[in-house]
Parts: sequence; C-alpha cells; structure tokens
Amino acid sequence: MSREVEAGGEVDVKRELDSAEEPRPATYYHLARAVLYREYLIFVRYPANAIGGIVVSLFFFGVLFYGGQLLAGQALADSLEGIIAGYFLWTLSVGAYSSVSNDIGSEVQWGTLERHVTTPFGFAPVALLKGVAKVVRTFLTSAVVLAVMLLLTGTRLSLDPITVVSVAGLAIVSVLGLGFAAGGVTVLYKRIGNWLNLLQFGFIVLISAPVFELPWTRFLPLAHGSALLQRAMVDGVRLWEFGPADLALLVGVAVGYLLGGYLVFHYATRRARRLGVLGDY
Amino acid sequence: MSEPPSASAVDSPTTTDSAAATEPDRDSSTDTAAERPIDGPPALVVDGVSKRFGSGEGSVLAVDDVSLTVERGSIVGLLGPNGAGKTTLIKCALGVVLPDTGSVRVFGVDIGGSGHRAAYANVDAMLEGARNDYWRLTVRENLRYFATIRGIDPDSVADRHDRLLERLELVDKADTAVRDLSRGMKQKVSLASVLAGGAELVFLDEPTLGLDVESSRTLRRELRRLAVEEGLTIVVSSHDMAVIEDVCDRVVMMADGRIVADDTVSALLSGADRDAVRVTSPDIDDDVLAALRDRFEVRSVAVEGDRTSVEVAAAGDDLYALMDALRAAGVTIGDVRTVQPDLEEVFVDVTGMEVDVSQGVDDGGRSS
Repeated sequence: MSREVEAGGEVDVKRELDSAEEPRPATYYHLARAVLYREYLIFVRYPANAIGGIVVSLFFFGVLFYGGQLLAGQALADSLEGIIAGYFLWTLSVGAYSSVSNDIGSEVQWGTLERHVTTPFGFAPVALLKGVAKVVRTFLTSAVVLAVMLLLTGTRLSLDPITVVSVAGLAIVSVLGLGFAAGGVTVLYKRIGNWLNLLQFGFIVLISAPVFELPWTRFLPLAHGSALLQRAMVDGVRLWEFGPADLALLVGVAVGYLLGGYLVFHYATRRARRLGVLGDY
Repeated sequence: MSEPPSASAVDSPTTTDSAAATEPDRDSSTDTAAERPIDGPPALVVDGVSKRFGSGEGSVLAVDDVSLTVERGSIVGLLGPNGAGKTTLIKCALGVVLPDTGSVRVFGVDIGGSGHRAAYANVDAMLEGARNDYWRLTVRENLRYFATIRGIDPDSVADRHDRLLERLELVDKADTAVRDLSRGMKQKVSLASVLAGGAELVFLDEPTLGLDVESSRTLRRELRRLAVEEGLTIVVSSHDMAVIEDVCDRVVMMADGRIVADDTVSALLSGADRDAVRVTSPDIDDDVLAALRDRFEVRSVAVEGDRTSVEVAAAGDDLYALMDALRAAGVTIGDVRTVQPDLEEVFVDVTGMEVDVSQGVDDGGRSS
C-alpha cells in the first residue's frame, strides 16, 4: 500500500521554519482577547441578531408606553423615569441571562463545550470571560434602547457613566450567575432552554421588588441593584454618594449569585461527565 | 501575566526524522515510533478503565476493564462495531466522561487527578457528530481561537497555521466563514482546529466521514506526516477499514466494551487464519470440486465461461497437499493466486460481527 509524503527538500524547508518558530504559551490576556474578539466578530458580522433584539425591546417598550398612556395617563407620566430605568435594567438582565444560558446550550449542541471544559486554563476563567463578553455586548444594545426610549418619551435621566455602568453592571452580575445555573441545568437535561428562558419574565418582579417595605428582598438578584439604579438615574445620586453598606450589599449579592451559579454549573458538568452526557444532544 | 499549566506540547520542540520523512511505508511505519527518540512516559496509558451507564437491569456496561498503552508518535486504530465502547473509551481518555474505575494518564499526567489541566494542554479530539468549531467564524479565526483555548499564543504559531491550511488544502478558504463551506471542508476545518492547539495526542473519531476520495487521501497523508515528522500521537476510530489499514501502526479491536485484539496491522493480517489460494482451470468439474470439499475448506466457486475458479483455504502443508490433489485429479492449472485477508475479514473473525459502514457513533455497550 503506498503512501505519499513531501519531497525531502520541502521537508528541510519546513523543518527550518519549525525550528524558527517556537510555540509560546497563551496567557490569560490572550484568553481574554480571544473570547472578547470572538464575541465582537459575531456581533459585527451578524448585526441582524443584535438589531432584532433592540427592535423587540423597543416594540415592547412602545406597547408599554403608549398603552400605558391610554390606560393610566398622568399616572404613567409621573412614574415614567422609574419605568425607563427599570426597563433599561430589564433589557440588560434579559440580554445577560439569555446570552449566557443560550450560549452554553449552543456550545453543547455544537460539540464545542467539551473543548472549553477541558481547556488547560480551566473552565471557570473561560466561562467568566465569556460572561463578561456577553455583558459588554448587552450594555451596547441596551444603551441604544435607552437612548431611543429617552428620545421617544422626551424624558431626561441622570446618566453618569461611571455610576450607571458600575451599578447596573454589578446588578446584572447576579443574573449572570442565574444564567450559569440555567446553563448547567441545560447541560444535564438538554432541551429545556426555552423553559428556562421564561425565568426572564421573573426579572420584572425582581426589578420592581419592594425593597423598602420588604428589606429581605434586597438579597434577591437584581432587587437591590435596581433600587440603587433608580436612585442614580432618577435622583442623580453618584456612585460615591451611596453608603458603604449599600455598595457592599450590591457587590455581595453580585458575587454571591455569580459564585452560586458557577457552583451549580460546575456540579452539573461534573455530573454530566459522570453520567456520560456532557456534549450529548 | 500568569499562564495556564502547560505540558510538553508547548515546551518541547517537534521531533523530525529525515529518514522516515523521505518515504515511509506502512510496513516500516510500525517501526517509526520505536526509531524515534522517546522521552518520558507513553502518550496514553489506560489502566483498568470501566464505565457503566445507568443502574439496575437497564444499565449498560460500555467499557469493561480496558487497559491500553499508546507510545508517543504512533498511530493507533480503534476498531469495533457500534456499541463496542470506542467512543466512551475516547471520552474517558479526554476526561469528558469520568470512568467508574481505573485511571487514564496522558503523558504521565492523571487526567482525573489534580494535574488534569496540564494533561488537557496535550490532548484534543475531533469527535464524530460534533461540529467541533464555530461555523460563524472563518477558518483562520477558528484556528486562532482554539489554539488559544488549548493554551497556545496564536501569534506564535501563525506560520504553522498557514502550513496546516496549506496541507489540508484550505488556504483558499482561510477567510471564509465555516458555515459557507461544504461538508467535507467543514470536516477538514474541524481537524485543523484540533491540530491548531499543538496537542501531542489527538483522538479522531471517524475523521474521513463525509470526505470525498481525494480529500480522504489528503487527510490520510497529513495524518502520517504529522506522526512521522512531528511526533504526533494519533488514535483513530473509524469504520473505514481502508483508513485504518492505510495509516495505522497498530490496531486495537473492541467488542462488548473489551479489547479483543491488539497488534500491528501486518501481524493481524499475517496471523489471521484466512490465507487462501484461488485456482482457475478449465479442468475443474463437479467431481474435482467434491474431492476438494472432502479434504479442504472450499470458500467459493466461480464459473466464467469454460473456466472455473475455486478459492481454497490453504496455507503451509495444506497448500502442497492441495497442489498434489489437483495434479492427481489431472487438473491443469491455468492461474493460481494467493488470497490475502483484509482487515475487515480479520475484524469479522475476531469480533464475530459485521462492520456497518453506515453507522458512525457507538455510545452503548453490553447490557447487564
């Protein structure tokens, strides 16, 4: 049986090239660059997805705004600033949650999840960076939605970038945790992603949770962050003007749910490996 | 800046062997791994691995106390019918499935132990039925992304990626989104993305599935080159016997979750009790055939015009006895040929099962 190989001279040339080129280990910087760049490529190469999300968000807001005007009139106008701030946080939350949980579901389907689970970096930093990439992307689309909402309604909000990005960012980190947990459940039980997406409607309840009347609700995802974001955007409170306890709770809730979500995901993937269903779809 | 744990894929230079690179053939390739300087532990050691899915009566024993060692730089074929446990064994070796008992060491590192991340740097796989890469990214973007994920700075291997694309005849499509490529091309991109990360042990599950004849030849050639020139260790699982026979130094056959044969291709072929001769003559009539059937194992008879061909299992002394019998019957031999068994026949003999080339994946095994 014959086999073909390159001529000897060509091999020599290749050997020279190989010797001149020594693979270097990738650092976490390279990992972050690769994950974020992939997200960027998908975003710019397939803008229809992003635009579709923006259009749907604006459509629902239009229904809420114009429908509310018809039904509630002045009552709506009085609370419009709060509604816009809450709606902005909801679009952020839905974007972060669904992109993370759907992304994990897609990776399972494509057979690429195994390659991320078995990376020498460990899955945690890869998953975290993918989450950060999703959050950055979601911020961009939600910013567009916010701008259109403000133009459409003629409303003015305080938009100190540091305050809004910090508070909203930390608020949706807790949702990222829920996204990881949902992703973990998807790894184990596969085609239940659509059911898990229903959870995003629960975010409305969390965003509008009565944190003053029921202080314990501050420990739920989004609730405390939503209250702080309302104060920042509606009342113009800056980040450094919040009390240390408020900020500590914001960070604590974010870290707690992110960690909890990751642990669920870690347990689910380990169980999937034990059951032999990781990557099966 | 911190780095992930790295193993020899990152640090060790590739091994080349100019003698082997010039014109290796399959017979000499069995010696290739032995001739190459082998430092350190074997590429893969599977030690007493068992895996059962489910529990109770409905459970399935997919892998049953399998032990296996694969030396560096060798190409090992993994053969078995559907349900033999091949894919489960591969997934255990990757750490994607956790075995119930036993251990897997990749280049000396326990894949289930605390140093598993270092082992991950050195092993990757192309699993049949999986995309394995991102269809929305271009071919080159996939190579760069997965090289990074596997722990290699993609800038440092950009030239290597170019050569990989060249060898797999993907240069013209390097900047095309994978989703826009044909199935065969996608298969090659999947392989390229596995090779892009510099893993020194790769598992390829049905690598030629969906490829046309020419692409399959290209891929086989590249697999041999990678093993011979770059010391890559490859475990190929395929239903395509020609692929296994063509590229593998050694074949491991599995059935019912166990290894039922493990030897070099040439040893399996020569050791098989399938040697036969085909004799063609116008003098072979029913009486001659009856006499031959009395004394020998007649495998087939074919009549073409006035000539009859008879295939008789005969090797060693039987061959002399056959010739004596034909001479005694007054048969003038028109043509005589030895009939060598192929790998598929050996496989059927060993496992007692037929190969279903239409099926690709086995995940099951033996019910308890």
